[in-house]
Order: sequence, then C-alpha cells, then structure tokens
Amino acid sequence: MPVLHQPRDLDEACTLLAELDDPMVYGGGTAIQILLKQGLLFAENLVDLSFVPGLTAIEATATGIRVGAMTPLRRMETDAQVAGVVPLAAATYGHVANPRVRNTASVGGNIAHGDYRLDPPTALLALDAQVELRSAHGQRRVPVRDFFVDFQLTAVEHGELITAIEIPAQPAGSASSYVKLSSLGENDWPSASAAALLVTEAGRRTLRLGIGALAPIPQFVSVDVSGHDLETTVEAAKAAADPLIDPIPDVRGSVTYKRRLGLVAVEDAVRRAWKDQDDD
Amino acid sequence: MTETALREGGEEPAVGARWQRAAARGKVRGTTKYVADLPVPPCAQVAVYRSTRPHARILAVDVTQAAALPGVQAVVTGQDLFALLGERLLTGPAFADQPALAYDRVRYVGEPVAAVLARDLATARAAVDLIAVEYEDLEPVYDVETALKGEFFVHDVLRPSSVFGDLSHLRGKRDTNVCYEYNLRTGDVDAVPTDGVTTVSGEFWSPPVAHVPIELPCTTAWVEDDRLEILTTTQTPSYVRQAVADLLDLPLNKVRVRTSVLGGSFGSKMYDRLEPLAAALAWSQQTAVRLVATREEAFLLTTRHGAGVTSSMSADADGNIVAATADVAYDTGAFADVGPRITAKSGMVAAGPYRVENAWIRSRCIYTNKPSAGPFRGFGVPQVTWSHESLVDELARELGEDPAEFRRRHLLREGDEAPMGTVMHSADFVGCLDAVTDEIGWTTPYEKGEGRWRRGRGVAVGMKAVLTPTIANAVIQLNQDGSATLMISTVDMGQGSDTIMPQIVAEVLHLDEGSVRVVAADTDTTPYDTITAGSRSTYHTGNAVRAAAEKMRDKLVDLAAQRLGVAASDCKVTSGGVMSTTAQETVSISDLMHGHFGARGTTLTAEANFTTSWQPYDHETGRSRQVTEHWFAGAVAVEILVDTMTGRVKVEQLAVAGDVGRAINPTLVEQQLTGAAIMGIGHALFDELVFDQGQIVNGTLLDYQLPSVRDVPAKLTAHVIESAHRTGPFGAKGVGETGILAIAPAIANAVRDAVGVRITRLPLSPERVLEAMTEAGVS
Amino acid sequence: MRMLNLTVNGRVHDVPVDDNELLLDVLRTKVGCTSVREGCGVGACGACTVLVDGRSVSSCLALAVRHDGAEIVTADGLPGDDAVVEAFVECGAMQCGYCIPGFVLMTHELLAENPQPDAEQIAAHLEGNICRCGTYPEICAAVTSAAARGARL
Ligand SMILES: Cc1cc2nc3c(=O)[nH]c(=O)nc-3n(C[C@H](O)[C@H](O)[C@H](O)COP(=O)(O)OP(=O)(O)OC[C@H]3O[C@@H](n4cnc5c(N)ncnc54)[C@H](O)[C@@H]3O)c2cc1C
Ligand code: FES
Ligand code: FES
Repeated sequence: MPVLHQPRDLDEACTLLAELDDPMVYGGGTAIQILLKQGLLFAENLVDLSFVPGLTAIEATATGIRVGAMTPLRRMETDAQVAGVVPLAAATYGHVANPRVRNTASVGGNIAHGDYRLDPPTALLALDAQVELRSAHGQRRVPVRDFFVDFQLTAVEHGELITAIEIPAQPAGSASSYVKLSSLGENDWPSASAAALLVTEAGRRTLRLGIGALAPIPQFVSVDVSGHDLETTVEAAKAAADPLIDPIPDVRGSVTYKRRLGLVAVEDAVRRAWKDQDDD
Repeated sequence: MTETALREGGEEPAVGARWQRAAARGKVRGTTKYVADLPVPPCAQVAVYRSTRPHARILAVDVTQAAALPGVQAVVTGQDLFALLGERLLTGPAFADQPALAYDRVRYVGEPVAAVLARDLATARAAVDLIAVEYEDLEPVYDVETALKGEFFVHDVLRPSSVFGDLSHLRGKRDTNVCYEYNLRTGDVDAVPTDGVTTVSGEFWSPPVAHVPIELPCTTAWVEDDRLEILTTTQTPSYVRQAVADLLDLPLNKVRVRTSVLGGSFGSKMYDRLEPLAAALAWSQQTAVRLVATREEAFLLTTRHGAGVTSSMSADADGNIVAATADVAYDTGAFADVGPRITAKSGMVAAGPYRVENAWIRSRCIYTNKPSAGPFRGFGVPQVTWSHESLVDELARELGEDPAEFRRRHLLREGDEAPMGTVMHSADFVGCLDAVTDEIGWTTPYEKGEGRWRRGRGVAVGMKAVLTPTIANAVIQLNQDGSATLMISTVDMGQGSDTIMPQIVAEVLHLDEGSVRVVAADTDTTPYDTITAGSRSTYHTGNAVRAAAEKMRDKLVDLAAQRLGVAASDCKVTSGGVMSTTAQETVSISDLMHGHFGARGTTLTAEANFTTSWQPYDHETGRSRQVTEHWFAGAVAVEILVDTMTGRVKVEQLAVAGDVGRAINPTLVEQQLTGAAIMGIGHALFDELVFDQGQIVNGTLLDYQLPSVRDVPAKLTAHVIESAHRTGPFGAKGVGETGILAIAPAIANAVRDAVGVRITRLPLSPERVLEAMTEAGVS
Repeated sequence: MRMLNLTVNGRVHDVPVDDNELLLDVLRTKVGCTSVREGCGVGACGACTVLVDGRSVSSCLALAVRHDGAEIVTADGLPGDDAVVEAFVECGAMQCGYCIPGFVLMTHELLAENPQPDAEQIAAHLEGNICRCGTYPEICAAVTSAAARGARL
C-alpha cells in the first residue's frame, strides 16, 4: 500500500513531488482507487491535494474563467458562472459517470487521468483551454490541445501537478453542443463523443470539434465553414473528423463500428449546435 | 386483475390483497440486516489464489512466502484438503465434479487453488500475491464445438452426486464432455410430407451472462463445540447442509446453515458457491473464517449458460405447425452444476408452447474450460424461447400471417397435450397474449417511420415447467397472543415470500396484516425445502404452509369445541377468533390458548409437508404424462424504435403478462413481472460476458452493463392472468421467471418488423443491428 | 492509525483509521452503519452511497482520512418520518431492498437541489444507481411522490 501524504500548501506539495520516490498526485481518487483495487497502481507515495488551499476556486478572468484543479466535476455542471461563460463545458462535465463520481472526481484529476474516452477533454479542446502546471521548478501553461500526448500519456511531467484549467469564454453568438453515444447501456462510458462549437468572428465562421473515445487520445480539429449551410457544414465536419478517427476495438465495438458511430456523433453534435444557434 | 370479494362480516381477505412487502421500511432505511451485516465471531479473513490457466495440471504450489507474511494464520491448498477429505472434496448438485480448491488440475481461469487465512483482508490478499503455482498446461476447450469433437476432456471421470430426486437417474461416465443429453421424439419429423410445407430454420445463440445481484456472496463458517455453523448468502440452505455434511462426513445435525434475506440472487446463490470452501477451511483449521467475494470474483462464481440452438419449424399448406426440431447445446463451463436439469427442462419445451405433432429435440449439456454456468432466472428456457419465438414469427411472416394471430391459432390450450406428452392445465397462453397485444394496440395501425428512426412491434410467448418432483415443509407456531411465527426454509431474495406466505396463513386463520412473521432459514429450526428457486415456492411451500395453517385451524376448532362443549363441526375460525353458532359465542385465539394452557405466552404448533411426484420422462422419447406439477405461461409485446444511424434499439413500450394461477399479492406479482422484464431488456440489448481464451474480459461493473433507469421503457405494464391451478394454494403458482422468458425474442421480432432484419445472435447490440442492416442492404 | 472525527447522522464518532482505509469500510465496521453496502467497489452501482456534507459520494472510492470533520448522512440515520422514506415505502419501491438506501440518499440530494424534478431530471440523477431487481418504475414514482411531500433533510 502506498504511503499517503497530505501537504498543507502548494509549495509543500511540490517539494513532496520532487523528493519522494514514485509519487502520485491524489486528486479525487476515483481513478486511483480503482487502479489500487485492480492491483495496477505501483506508486509508492500518494500526495493528496485536498488540504491544499486555493485549488477549488472558480474565478472569472479577463478572457474567461479559471478553475482550480481540485474543483469537483459536479460544480462545473451546477455552477452558474461556468454555465454562463462556457456552457459547452458545463454541459460536457454533466455527462461524466454519475453524480457521485462527479462529486468526488476533480477537474485536474480528470484530465490527468488521460483516458481517451473521457468526456470533458472534448469540450476543453473545442474551447481551447490552457492547463496550468506547477512543480518545484516553477509554473508553466500547456494548451489542452498539446496536453494529450499518447495513449494514457499526458504532458504532466514527473514532479508536476495541475493547479488550474483556464477556459476562454465562449464567444458571443457562438453555439455549441456535446453528444455522447454509448453502445451498451445508456449510462455507459461513451463509445464515441463529440463537442461542437460554432463560432462567428470577424465575418468568418469556424466549427471547432473535439472528439473523444475514437482514437488513443482525444482529438481536435477546426473547420472553416464560412458560407456553409447546415448540410455542407455537416459534410465538412465529417470530412475533417474522419482522418482523426482511429478507434480502439473493445467490448463496446469494433473499429468499423466505432468509426461509423464517431461520424454520427460528429453529425449529431453539429446539427444540435446549429439548432442551438437558431434557437438563440 | 381480479380482486377477491370480501369475506363474511366485511372482513378483507388476505389472499389477493396488496399487503405491504414485509420489512418494507427496514429495506428503505437500510436497517434490514443481510448476511454480511449479522454479528459473527471474530474471524480469519480469507483471500483466494485463483488459477491463471484455463486448463492445466497443478505440479506444485509454493506457499512458503505467503505463510511467512506477518498476520497470515494459515495457507491451505487444494492438495492439503484432498489429503484430508479425499474425493469428498468434490461436490455438486448433479455430478461431484467441483473441488472446493483445485488439487490436481485447474479447469478455468479463476478457479480457486489455495486460500489464505489472515487477520485482515489486506494481509490475506497480499499473501495471495506471494503464492507461486507451477502448472503443466493441458489443451484448453474453449467452446462447445471443440468440446464435442471429444479430443480433450475437461473431466476424465464423472461421478453422480445423488442429492436430488429428479437427478437420481444420472450415471457415472468417462471420456466425454457431454455430461447430459435429453432427447424428445414426438411423432416422426422425417415422415412429414414436404409437399406444400413451409420450413424456417436458424442458428440461434444466447451468450453467457452474469446474474449480478447487488449483494455480494458472503459466507462465514465457524466451529462451535463439535458442530459447524455456517451463515451464508444462499437460496438453498437445505442443500448446503447436505453438501457440507457429505464433504466433512458429519451427521446433518452437526451442520447448521443459516441465511438472511438476500440482496437479490436470480439463481447465483445456489448450491456450491463459497460454502464448501468456507466449511472445509473452518473445519480443517478449527477456526472461524469469513469469505466475501469481490464483484470481480463473483463474476467467476457462476454464469448463465451460453447456448446455441439449431432449429427449424414447419407449417403445412393450411398453416398448421407440423414439425419442430431443435438441437440445443448448453455450455456449462468447468462444472455441471445443475446443468443436466436445465438441459432436460429446457429441452422439453424447445418446440414452444404450440400444438406440434412431430418434434425432434436434442438438448446437451457440455463442459468447457470456462467458469461454471448454473441456474439463472428462467433456468435455460430463455435460450430456447429465443429460438422458438424467432422461428414462429418468421414462419408467420413467410405464410403472410399476422405473427400474433398465427401464434394465437396454434398455442396450447387447457387440455391439449404438449409435445413432451403432458396435458396442459392452468397455462393460459392465449390470455397472456391477448392481454399484451391489447395493451399495445397490436391491431391498430402505426407509423413505421421513414427517416432515421424506425418503429416496430413484436410479440413473443414463453413456456416453462416447474421443477418436479420437489419437497416442501412448513411449521407454524401460533402464539398465545394471536400472532404467529412461520418456519420455512424459503429464502426471501426480493421475490416476496416473507410477505405472501404470511398472507396464506392469515387467510386460513383469519389473522391481520403484520401478525405472521417468517423466520429466516436456519437448518436447526426451519424444515427441509428443496430449493428457493425456479419460481416453485409459492406453489410448493405455499401448499405446505396452507396445509399447516389448516391443521392449526383444526386444532383451534378442537380447542374451542372442548371449551364451549359443542361439536367441532359447529365451530369456525373468524377474524375475532373461533365462533360457535350454537353457543352464539366467539372465543379469541388468545383466550382460547390461555384457557387451554393456563399460561400466557404459550405456543401451539402445526406442521405439514408437501411433496410432488412425477412420471420420469422416458429416456428414449423424453415423453411423460406428467413431467411437471405445473406450468408457467407468459407473453410479451413491445414497441421499439431503431436508430438506423447507430443501430441502437430503444424500447418505447413493453407489456408483459404472466399466468400466475392466482395472485396472492398482485403488487408483488406485478413487480416480479416488470422487474424480470427490465432484466430481460438487458439480456436482449447488451448484457453479455465476453471471453478471450477462456478469460472474462468484462468482469467488472465498469465494463459489464446492467440496465439503469435510462433503459426502462417509457411505458411498462404488467398484466396478471389468473387461470387458477386446481392444486395450487388458492389456485396460485409462482411468477419469478415468467416475465423474463420472452423478452429478447419479442424485441428481436420488433426489430425484424422495424427494419426487416432477422438477428439470431444475442445481444442485439447496436453494432450487430447495424451490421445486419448493412448485410441486408437496408438503410 | 490516526483518529478521525466523523459526525454520522448527527452523532460524533472518533474512530481510529488507517491511511488507506475506505470510508465504506470505516462506516460499516467502525461506526456500524450497515445500510452502506458494497456492490461493485468501483463507483458504478451506488449501493455504498452516503451524503458527505450534503453531497452524494461513493464511499467505496473515498479515502476515510479525507473526511475528518465531515458531516455524514446514511439512510439508517434519516429521521423516522422522513418524507423520502415514507414515499419509498408507500410506493412499494423495493424488492430485495439492497440497493434502496442508496437511491433514498440520491433522492435527498436531488430534491435539495431541485425540489420539483421532472422525469428526465430524475433519470439523470439516478442513472448511476443500479437496481438489479428492476424496481426503477416504483423508485421514480417514489421520487415524484417525495417531491410532492416536500422532502427536507
Ligand atoms: C463508475 C465510473 C464511471 C465513469 N464514467 C466516466 C464517463 O462516462 N466519462 C468520463 O469522462 N469519465 C468517466 N469516469 C472517469 C472519471 O472521470 C475519472 O475517474 C475522474 O475524472 C478522475 O478524477 P479524480 O480527481 O478522481 O482523479 P484521481 O483518481 O485522483 O487521479 C487520476 C490521475 O490523475 C492524476 N492527478 C490527479 N490530480 C492531479 C493533479 N491535480 N495534477 C496532476 N495529476 C493529477 C493522478 O495522479 C492519477 O494519475 C468514470 C469513473 C467511474 C468510477
Ligand atoms: S460499491 Fe460503491 S458504487 Fe458500487
Ligand atoms: S431492490 Fe434489489 S437491487 Fe434494488
């Protein structure tokens, strides 16, 4: 059993991460506990962030909002500020697992977990969020679009922890939607997911797409859809998404099926975002 | 729904009343104690080393490191137990083929090989990781096709265990993977003229699935003086006592098996689960041990048989069903468990609930190197229903007939002889079918849709025989204050026996709601009962309970007659006590007993036995004039939507009907029907244990899918059909399985209706539906 | 081992716990709340649900030592006339009963946030709780009935 450490401030946490053998940040612990039970976790030391002050704040910034790494996922779905500034993120976080897991799991632990099927990264990719990291050596920021490096591998380096995620506000007049398709029970992990954000800026219309569960890491693509109608937008979105789809076969579907399902998720997300825009 | 008329004096009858479920409030607040919540002596916690090989000889088990770990009290291997118990180590309800710990050979990935007893679970688990086993791999048999080739055998020799009456004909055998074969020969399918005959056929597959009651299996065993006490999650306490007594060579009165209400079971907590191992450990170590399966381990303990059915159905030019064939193969995994019974009882109904003159059925139970399969709600029948209800639907379509109307024309009716030779009674298939088709408006036209979502409707009918012969006993203790205690070994797992058995007592003795309490099964006090399973308890134990209550009534009448100096025939039991018409007097139970015994708090007991008999089926033809004590009849109708882009099936409406003879408690009956339907939706759409080289791939609740509130149809209705059984208690029969039999084929028939594809493999996963549509060129 | 201070159903408990112990095990074995049960151990069934400071948590995934000073509510500690309990009892929302305390607590959380939930909101809140007996129709009816009674903790 790994040893648990409960630092009281960020510096102490960073020092522990720098100095301990095989340390692992303990966020909400929902993923870590499962790995422990499955005998798949080999860390010797767990550094629990729950007593580090300042990691659960949701603050407005000049460009959007900043969310502390230990903010429970459920607050992302229920917080009025999040829903107002980044409705796509609020909607997407609300799709994770179930309310109990969302009450416990943290925003930082969620992306650090790095599972390719996670819901939130799709929205964070579309919204161009930045991940704030800290270590004994200082602080750095990594765009979410560079954060997922390889299968279950993220940009978090040894000795680092995530302190916050900054999400730029959804531009005025934008429209968005998140679609999660499961292939077994309705309440399952996604077999394909897509977050679509339609933005009109300086006369140009862009569709930003984050897609999940369809490749070893979450994927992002942006498509210029200026002058397109709904049908051509859908076609353009599918054409752009297709090369990014590289599914991992499992009990939830074969490569062929997931590929098909992925394109449906993209299409559904675009149509709903389009409708969202018409409704506004 | 029929409501019973008030009894004389405006008194509410107990049978037919919607009494609140026993312990309702305790269940809601969580104060009801399940097995794991009950106090036990301080125990060694047990963790189990499980085989990593599907089929191998055990060359050596090295436990030195494990035994040296601080906190470890003992490490016990299969070889240790074998040295102590010899062949007695092998138990099982049909064949003695299941070792509490494997000693010479492992037969599936996950089979227990050694057990660690430690002061806490974490230590026990850590020690398990230190056990090293040396194996010599044997050729694994992963599926029934390979098993039937007979090149490699899962067991070399089979020895019957001779516990149950219906399995007393089993004989020992060797060098085969087929542990049982049932054959039905009615008429002569080969002699049916082919002229003008329409035949449909198919190869149907139902995958193995897991029961997943939310309560995990838990067994505690300890030695008290020279006796073994076991507190365990079991639906078969009487069986467990016998199995453990055989295992340890103890007299029955030195083994005490207790249980509590169960947090669901569905067939998973039956026969030999954790109990033989717990018993062997406690007895050999003379200590108290506690075994609790993790969810992952529970997946390895038992499964539902994956089953393949190659079958056909033929109709002549007039649309009469003239022949049905079915070759059924049940994959029983490493152990027979009760597979032979399942094989026979499902085989005999594999032609469906129809008038069929010529039937050929072969049903086999086949060993493979996988976790053992056992009973699961429906007892093998859903797998054959999947076949006959798909075939009959397709046959109707081929003949251009309405699938519901076609069935209605051919369904067995009261007095008809079913293909296996037994005459039907109290099995109102037509009534069930009418109820569900009426409910969904079968004959009113509906929009199938042309866009992405297509609508379809389907029906299916199910038929199952109750386990026969079996034995039930009941003891009623009437207390001087007029309350009563009922001693039966029926286990309430949610089906509601603790509610309806008191209703039967109360009906006979005119007692009030809440005045009869059922004692949790305890082999020291509650009498023998074959099993709580196969929906048999309402009828069998219900009959024993009713008979015991009637004996009690006679005792009360005699006491009153004595006291009042009147003839017994002048007295009758009413809600106020025993009434004499001549004496114009009613004596309350409490006065009567006080008067008789001269003390308060006294008790009066009455007991009864109810044993059914049968005509064993002929081993050549599989036929019997009385193969079962009674039948379960059910029907399902659904309306579904198919998403043609994703292949996902959404059940919009489902109506399920069951003939229960007489509903002792209509609310509980309806709940059994809808609950089974929801479970059935999972089996139809996504429930499936996936194996890779004999290893379960999705054996956690993160991957194994169960229906959630999201999978429930917007409209779900239960329809209780009551065609009273002549020998049922107040006409009643059971219902636990009826609702599940026909769910999957009803949904598949609706998919056929919606998008024109016939899918013969379960589950109807979106991928499978989409694939079938692509193959058929439907878009 | 260290001492953990927990307020469980209004009563204060000081219990010695190991760093790696789960809240589920501490509540069951050291506080005696057997209404909290393990069904899956991975957050997927809800049998182990407790309310921590009003929020539902899977105690099978929760480290006990993180909850020092927390206010915990379990179903067996609900007041005798609790509206949610009453609603479940009256709607017959139980079969084997094993999963039900978890649903009761989820219902409390839902109604505290949203006193009049519609069917979709009820489903969204309960979708991660599994009732293998399939009591969902009765459970949903009970939630609606509890809402009508005005459930309060
Ligand atoms: C039953 C169930 C169903 C689920 N279904 C879904 C689903 O449908 N969709 C979905 O998206 N997810 C799903 N999940 C996964 C869930 O989202 C993750 O478990 C959760 O987000 C992880 O967050 P956590 O804070 O608990 O992480 P932890 O378990 O604490 O940590 C996870 C990883 O992140 C690291 N970490 C944690 N915090 C930090 C930090 N601040 N800085 C650096 N590294 C850190 C840890 O070291 C560890 O490697 C499900 C989980 C469960 C249990
Ligand atoms: S046991 Fe915790 S959610 Fe299932
Ligand atoms: S009532 Fe049995 S699991 Fe829900």
